[in-house]
Amino acid sequence: MLNLASTQRHDGTTPAQREPGMSTNDENAPEIRTGQWEDALSFVAVHQDKAAYSELFSYFAPRLKAFGMKMFGNEQQALEMVQDTMLNVWRKARLFDPSRGCASTWIFTIARNVRFDMLRKKQSRKDDISADDLWYDGNYPEQEDSGSHQWDTVLMTEKLAPHFDRLPEAQRLVMVKVYLEEKSHQEVSDELAIPLGTVKSRIRLALDRLREALDDTRS
Amino acid sequence: MTHAVKYHPGIPLLEQYVEGTLEADVALAVSAHIDLCPHCQQLCLDLSAEQGLMLEKSAPAAELDATDLDQMLADIMAQPQWNGRELNTQPQGPVQVQLKDKTFTVPRALARLVEQQTKWTQLGSIANAKLPAGDKRHVSLLYIDKDTAIPQHTHKGLEITLVLSGRIVDEKGSYGVGDILINTPDDTHTPRTLPDEDCLCLSVLSAPLQFNKGITRLLNPLQHLFY
Repeated sequence: MLNLASTQRHDGTTPAQREPGMSTNDENAPEIRTGQWEDALSFVAVHQDKAAYSELFSYFAPRLKAFGMKMFGNEQQALEMVQDTMLNVWRKARLFDPSRGCASTWIFTIARNVRFDMLRKKQSRKDDISADDLWYDGNYPEQEDSGSHQWDTVLMTEKLAPHFDRLPEAQRLVMVKVYLEEKSHQEVSDELAIPLGTVKSRIRLALDRLREALDDTRS
Repeated sequence: MTHAVKYHPGIPLLEQYVEGTLEADVALAVSAHIDLCPHCQQLCLDLSAEQGLMLEKSAPAAELDATDLDQMLADIMAQPQWNGRELNTQPQGPVQVQLKDKTFTVPRALARLVEQQTKWTQLGSIANAKLPAGDKRHVSLLYIDKDTAIPQHTHKGLEITLVLSGRIVDEKGSYGVGDILINTPDDTHTPRTLPDEDCLCLSVLSAPLQFNKGITRLLNPLQHLFY
């Protein structure tokens, strides 16, 4: 049975269930997200579960409407976006892959694509660029590591630290804990009550910003 | 051995791409770059995850007609779910384009557009095929034969060049497959091909982009990523 009400944690675990002190060397282990919304989506996909879908709908539809109002400034279009987005969530539920990201990420990308195509249609463009062209919803083939590992070890903390202050707050917090307080990714995940995957993705984003900052100081 | 992409779009550009707020023709060039660049594939997954979290943690709309939403919910669940063919509407991989006796592979992002239209216009050792995209039809494939310099040209907005095959060089560097170059009207550069290698690019001429910090180097900052 789904227990949809009890947990707001993204990955559905409590701190006690997690293994403490996991090393930071598990960068490449794919994280299968299991949480409230991820579970709900798989119930929708596998069982056409209307109760699970209703829970998703009643949480995300009002938030998508707020997002649509911001984007369109117009209630009718905002509601059209909500309808099309949530319809796609229903129809395409089996395309959701919890090893690639959270349910919220997937729903966001659907809303973004719906919004993009609505705007293009309004400008009555035919045979033109569509969301399907711009945002690939599949797995790219595995490639060699793209270099973030290398940076992890090559970059000295002293060199990085002065730039921490200019990072977005969420990323700065993670970087301080990992690089200055030398905590494991898992510890940071527990302390901040964010999924392990989010810790890793914030580190990657922060490292890229720091690269830019270091590049600027060199040129 | 695959060539490591050296010139990437900056994070501000990737952010706008992920949000869906980037102009479509610029987004097309970014998307084609991502198809060729595992580093940016990962960054985009990460940026999308941040956007997803923001949506999840955002406040619901204040004014909501509950009966509207109930009706919407009922309408949706009355629809059949999709399976199989209906779910695969996207181009899944790269496609080939033909120019005389040469065959090139172009990334997934361009597959649909290229299949709609690839009519080449030859100008000496340069050939151009406009793609059916963008306002003023300024998205095109650009073929440059070996040992050729691109004539000087000016434009008001940005000039984005993504190398799809071969290599071009200019005063600032050497660009291989996947490398993206973003030039402003202030940049004067004379790109050319090498004596023994031709080149196929995606070229996008775009109106100027709006950024909080109007610094062009932010657009293209990762050229030193791999030392």
